Parts: sequence; C-alpha cells; structure tokens
Amino acid sequence: MSEPTPLSASSSSAGEDIDDAWLPPADRRQSLLQDYREIFGRELWEHRGLLIELVRRDIRVRYKQAVMGFAWAVLVPTLVVVAGALVRVAMAYVGGRRLEFQEVAGMALKALPWSFFTGALNFGTNSLTVNSNLVTKIYFPREILPLAATLAQSFDSSIGLGVMLLVSMVLGVHFGATMIWVPVLALCLVLFTAGVTLVTSCGNLFFRDVKYLVQVFVTFGIFFTPVLFEPEMFGPLGARLMMLNPLAPILEGLRLSTVGGHNLLEPLVVTTRHGAVLAWTPWYLAYTAVWAMVLFMGGLIVFHRAEPKFAEYV
Amino acid sequence: MTEGRIEFQHVWKKFRRGEFHDSLRDVVPDLASRFFRRKQEDALDHREFWAVRDVSFSVRPGEALGIIGPNGAGKSTILKLLTGILHPTAGRCGIRGRVGALIEIAGGFHQDLTGGENIYLQGSIRGLKRREISARFDDIVAFSELGPFIDTPVKRYSSGMNARLGFAIAAHMDPDVLVVDEVLAVGDFRFQRKAFERLSEMRGGIPVVLVSHQLERVAALCTDCILLDRGAIVMRGTPEECISHYVMNGLRAGEPQMDASLPFHLHSLEVEPKRALRSGEWFTAVLRGVVREPPPSHLRIGMRVRALHNAQKVFAFDVSRLNPLLSRPGPFEATVELQANVGNGYFSVESSVWDATRRREAGSGPHALIRVSEPELVGNTNLHPRVRVRMISEDLVVAGPELAPEADTAVLDHRS
Repeated sequence: MSEPTPLSASSSSAGEDIDDAWLPPADRRQSLLQDYREIFGRELWEHRGLLIELVRRDIRVRYKQAVMGFAWAVLVPTLVVVAGALVRVAMAYVGGRRLEFQEVAGMALKALPWSFFTGALNFGTNSLTVNSNLVTKIYFPREILPLAATLAQSFDSSIGLGVMLLVSMVLGVHFGATMIWVPVLALCLVLFTAGVTLVTSCGNLFFRDVKYLVQVFVTFGIFFTPVLFEPEMFGPLGARLMMLNPLAPILEGLRLSTVGGHNLLEPLVVTTRHGAVLAWTPWYLAYTAVWAMVLFMGGLIVFHRAEPKFAEYV
Repeated sequence: MTEGRIEFQHVWKKFRRGEFHDSLRDVVPDLASRFFRRKQEDALDHREFWAVRDVSFSVRPGEALGIIGPNGAGKSTILKLLTGILHPTAGRCGIRGRVGALIEIAGGFHQDLTGGENIYLQGSIRGLKRREISARFDDIVAFSELGPFIDTPVKRYSSGMNARLGFAIAAHMDPDVLVVDEVLAVGDFRFQRKAFERLSEMRGGIPVVLVSHQLERVAALCTDCILLDRGAIVMRGTPEECISHYVMNGLRAGEPQMDASLPFHLHSLEVEPKRALRSGEWFTAVLRGVVREPPPSHLRIGMRVRALHNAQKVFAFDVSRLNPLLSRPGPFEATVELQANVGNGYFSVESSVWDATRRREAGSGPHALIRVSEPELVGNTNLHPRVRVRMISEDLVVAGPELAPEADTAVLDHRS
C-alpha cells in the first residue's frame, strides 16, 4: 500500500459547516508568551485542586506503613547534622580549638534545605515514570507531578524547620529581625528546586540515565555545597568559587540571617587565618534569585514543549 | 455546562516499532541525523508506521459513535488522541466540555491509598473540585458496592473490587462528553448489567464515543458506527451495517481453511430462494462436498446460523452424524431445509467440519448470506407471537370479558 501524505487540516476543513474554532490548531508552534499563558492559566490555575490533592497524596503515601511516620521528616536532616557535627569535631580537634555551639546550629539550619533539595530531586525526578499508569491513561497537565513532589517535600522540610528552630531556641540561640530573609530564601530554594526537577523528571522520562546521574550528583554535591562547612574556610578565592554554586548563597544566607543575625542587604567580611574573606554581599542574593527564576521559567518551557511526546515515550 | 462536542478532522498518527533508543550507540547517530537533515513530518522511516490514517468524524449531543475493528486497528489510539494524551502527527482533534472517560482506570489507583482516598485523587485528576467529589462520594461507594472496604488500602482489593471502584468513579463525573473504552466487561454478570444500565442512562443528551469488542453492546448503544482496519476507516454507517461488514470480512479472512488431511472437503453452499426472506419462511441450503475417506465418529459436518448485526450464534446443528451416506467416500450434495425463525437483519449460514472431542472447528467451510425483512420483528429468534387485543369498556368489565363483541377484537398473528 502506498503511504499517503497527510493533508493540511486548514485546507480540508474549509467549506464544511462546523464550528471548530475551539479545536487546537494543527500547527502547534507558538510564542513563549502563549506558552506561559497556557501553562499558568489553562494548566496550573485550572488544575490547582489537583495539585493540592497530589501533594496531599504524596505526603500521606510517603510515611504510610512506616512506624516512625512523620518523625522521618526530622530524622533525615538530623542524621546529616550528626554526621556534620562529627566532621566538625574532628576538624576542631586537628586544628586544636573548641567547637562552638553556634557552628553546629548553623550547620543544622543548612542541613535542612540541603535535605529538602536532595529529597525533592529524588522524588521529583521519578515522579513521571512512577506515575506512568496515569500519564498513559488520563489527560492532566503533567507539570503537576514534579511540582507536587517538590511541594510535598517542602511540607516535610517545614516540619523539620519548625522542630529545628524550636530546639535551637531552647538551647539558647538568639534569633533577630534578620529572620525575615528566611521566607525569601525559601522561595528561591523552592523555585530553584522545582526548576531542576521539571527538567530532570522530563529527562528521566526519555532517558532513564538521568535518574542515576541525579543520584551521583546528590551524593557528591555535598562536597561542593557549603552544608557541613563554611565557604570562608577556603580563603578569599575559594569562598568566591564555592559561592558560584547557586545553592551556596541560599544556604549561607539562611545561616547568616538566622544564627548569624546578619542583614543580607549588607556585605559581611570575616577575618580568618587566611586573612579577610568576603563572606556575603547582596549580589549573592541577586545571583541566586536570578538562577531560581531562570531555572523555574526555563524548566516550565522545556517541560511544556516536551509534553506532547510523554505518553509515547514513557 | 458547555454543549459537549467531539471533533476529529483528518487525523494522522505515526508510531514507531521497537525500542526508541537501545543505548547511546543508537542515540548519537539518531541525534546527528536529525541535526543534519530536517526530517519530514509526513515521511516514514523503516521503523515507523501510521497507526491512524486520515480519520475524521464528529459527534454531537445525543449521538453515540461506536468504533469497532480488529486488534491493532487504532481504536484505543483514537481515544487517546481525543482525550489529549497523544497528539496527532497531522490534523486536528479535540473534545469540548468536560470529558468523562470510562476507561480502565483501576491501574491508575495508588496502591497504598485507601479506596476513599483514591476516589478523591481520581476525581481531582478528572477535574472535579474537592467539594464536588464529597457530594458524590456516597453514591460512588454505594455503586461500587464496597461499603465497609472503602477505608482499606487498594492494594488489598481483589481485581473485581478494583474494577468496580474504577467504574463507579468514572461513572459519577457528570461529563459533557463521554468516552468509553472496553470497560463494560468489569465485575460479575450482575455488575456488568448494572454498568451497562448506568452507561445507557449517562448517554442521554451528550456525545458518546464507545470502543468495544462486544459487538452486541455497540449495536445496542450506538447511533452511528465506524469500522477501522489498520488505522483507516473501512466503513461508516449504522452499527448494524458496520458489524455485518466486519463479521462477514472476518469470515472471509478465515475461509480457506479446509485441511487436506480432513476426511471431508466442503466446496460450496448455496441458499434458495435468493431474495430477502420473510421471517418464518422456509429456505433451502445446498451444501456440496466430497467425503474423502470414512470419517472417524468425532469429525462431523456442522452448520450454523449467525446474526451479523451482533455476531451472535443463533442456531447450530449437525448435518452428518446420523447420516450413514456421509460415511461413504465420494462426492455428495446435502439439501437442508430451514425455517427462518429469526428477526429482521442479515444472517450468515456457515458450514464447517466440527471436532466433537476437542469441541472446536477442525476446518471452516463455505458460507452464504440470507437477509430477513418484514414483518418488522427484532431479535435473533422469532417466537411467533400472536397478539389478541380486545377493547373493554367500563360496563363490560363489570359484565365480564366474555361479553365483548367480536367487532372489538383485533388479532395480530405472526404464524400465518
């Protein structure tokens, strides 16, 4: 049988008496602006109920049939902190100085966003493939799956944050007015993480390699992110290089604005053994905010444009 | 509520056979070739094929379109294109209004959540608000007959419970448009009937597309029908026409299956008279063939009559069993007289060699077609009704029905 050539839809529907203006156009190419209008209006806003329902499901399912239940939300970052504290004790011992409680508290506060990021990345990357039975059966905007995974993880982390703040306060850490930076940084972190998971979940749908790549990235990422240590330990140049990691300003900002009591709109110079190190400048805040926005908006577009192929490739 | 519509305009869909990319070894050359030469959307490479070719239809409120065809004809692909899960390679298609997809959704349940939690989840996936789901919750539970098990995780459900809950959720969504894919076969016999009744209730006033292999369901529910084969529309018409065509073609495809090792060979079957029959009329079927060798007792020549509008067997009988002549080698001619005690429609008279021990056909022989029209009787059999109506006025009731005058009696007799 000879393979016929598809007709263009516009020519074929001409002359027929049917109102089909509501049909999606045959030519699906459209501008970025139209894409965003579609993503935020037709997809995310209209399906916000589904987003909430999926977050609720993820939260419920995560600790089902687990004796510890929500204690895990606190336990995981606590384990990171314990590991970090051991490292710091060893470092202090080698350096021949005492370990300050302040340092451990700062580390604890950074362990939390880090475990949020890795947790969301793990769940989010797999969110499309795990739910492939939904993806191939029912239509709904697929963005919602990785976004729900990210939001469910932030619910976990908020519990952890609450507990952490409470413990710190009991132990006598003073929190000042500079705490108002916490929500700003948290927003940057959530947008950044959502952007990354949008891209990785979509990538993982086509190539399962992404899942393993993410694993490796998360395992070794902790060495290139100031979670267990502070950038200023590496001297002026080392600190700057370390702060290029888009997560670094978020973690450092969190530490400085809470435990450090520093206003993030002012630069901060710390004197270390290597001399004066610029530990913070407001530019870091701008830098990480730009990363978060670009990744989030870019991730949405990448995801949206790949979406028509999902059901065939998953 | 928007007026629901289903629209399919010259839709083409291309699929690929085999794995997309086996390893990096395949990905790199593929990406490279994609980069260097712009691939034509409408061209096929050696691994691609058209799953849907130039399919168009439109369904308006009150209409129900049945889609039938053999496996791999593209039926489910069309539903996925309609609901937006797949996107067409060329052409336009879509649904206006809220879609109620009666598809097998039990697979979409989250195994760790309870039945009730899954109702909320599935409801919101289908675009219902939490409040709307709460309003329907009790109805869904009642319909699914799960009662006390609704707070049990779905992973502990039996497959029947799963399927019942799936259907119950899908059937309570108040859609503007209904899309049904092979879900009428869920649960036991009683639940199937309940599901079918529910579907009949739902289809009033909204456009419906039904995909099914249960041809009698299509015949009972649909107003229009299309017959698909290898992605293209073969026929478009009433369900009866399409099903007849489909069943006849299926028969034709399986025709030349008279194995030379069989003791019989059947070569022709003719029906007299060659015109439309009246229901209840006698007709003759003449079967010609050869007895090659004395047949073993379990191999027999069988004949059956099948209704084409729903593919159901009406009648089957044994031609040869007690016929000593058919155990002697040589050509034969068997004349069978039959009474067309069937309703209106097309029926096929089929001959076969029947294996009584294995209870299956050892070889299928030629077939013939009869058409029964007038009087207007519906169904696979004609039970020869005789209807007697007598008008009874109030005072006659008092006096007793025996006193009714003969003039007020009307008899409709289908036996003459």
